Amino acid sequence: MSETEITLDAGHAAALEPSPYALQSKKLTMWLFIISDAITFGAILFGYAYLRIGTPNWSTPFHFSPNIVNGLIMTFVLLSSSLTMLAADAAAKQGRKSSCLKWLGATVVLGIVFATLHLREWSHMFEEGWSLSTNPLGGSVQFGATFFSITGLHLMHVISGIIALIVIAIGYNTDWLDAGHVETTGLYWHFVDLVWMFVFPLLYLMNVAR
Amino acid sequence: METNHEPGMKEYIAIWVGLLCIVGIEAFLTSMNLSTHGLLVSLLVLAFIEAGIGLLYFMHLRYEKPNLFWSLVPAVIFVLFMMNHIWPDAYRMLNLRVPIQ
Repeated sequence: MSETEITLDAGHAAALEPSPYALQSKKLTMWLFIISDAITFGAILFGYAYLRIGTPNWSTPFHFSPNIVNGLIMTFVLLSSSLTMLAADAAAKQGRKSSCLKWLGATVVLGIVFATLHLREWSHMFEEGWSLSTNPLGGSVQFGATFFSITGLHLMHVISGIIALIVIAIGYNTDWLDAGHVETTGLYWHFVDLVWMFVFPLLYLMNVAR
Repeated sequence: METNHEPGMKEYIAIWVGLLCIVGIEAFLTSMNLSTHGLLVSLLVLAFIEAGIGLLYFMHLRYEKPNLFWSLVPAVIFVLFMMNHIWPDAYRMLNLRVPIQ
């Protein structure tokens, strides 16, 4: 007799009541994490937007080339990584392990490209004299403080996602993890992409010199 | 919103192209001489459209049970809405500070 039958026979059908969301617990947990993280990013982006509008001597240091072009390339790379993640998820659901691993690998590579472009940009800004508390243009130091804090928090999410994807790929390859884990990690990766959809316009496009 | 089959890769690629187009529109708007406030509002509207598409299709929220959507999304919107109303209070507090000599 299976464990399920034993539970039903014992009159504990309530213990088997289906989830109102019809989700695996790990996926629901990921959704709850994403919601809390969305509120965190929402708070700092609201704070940034108020500072941006309310600070009279706010610096707008970016130019279309190279800053915005670099940002557009980063956006393209991150959006493309969401597409490869969707392909990995679809392959995992169909049980095509080698295809799933190939797409997970592509997602990791694109994530690394994004992080590299980001760090290269930071490096150039540091060389120009920007930091959390300095402004080489002589205006408000709030630009550096908010730019490095928000993009840094996002970059930390990207790096965490890359590590998670590598762990998931190894686990899935060795049958330690299943397609549900790939899907759950994909949710996180799409969320990181989604946050960038706010970070790019608010921190890059809003700070173009005019 | 209903639970049905998820889209295939062709649909995902079409959505990806659509999102790239919205990013292009954002960059174009930046090149126009909009006021800071006007640019902020325009970019935020487009960002919310992108986020909505990402949430519904890439994150498959459209294909989950409606319960999930109604449990999560209104709560986030409420919190962000309240934040938007509380943040301006920071300016009032700034004005209450004793001026630094």
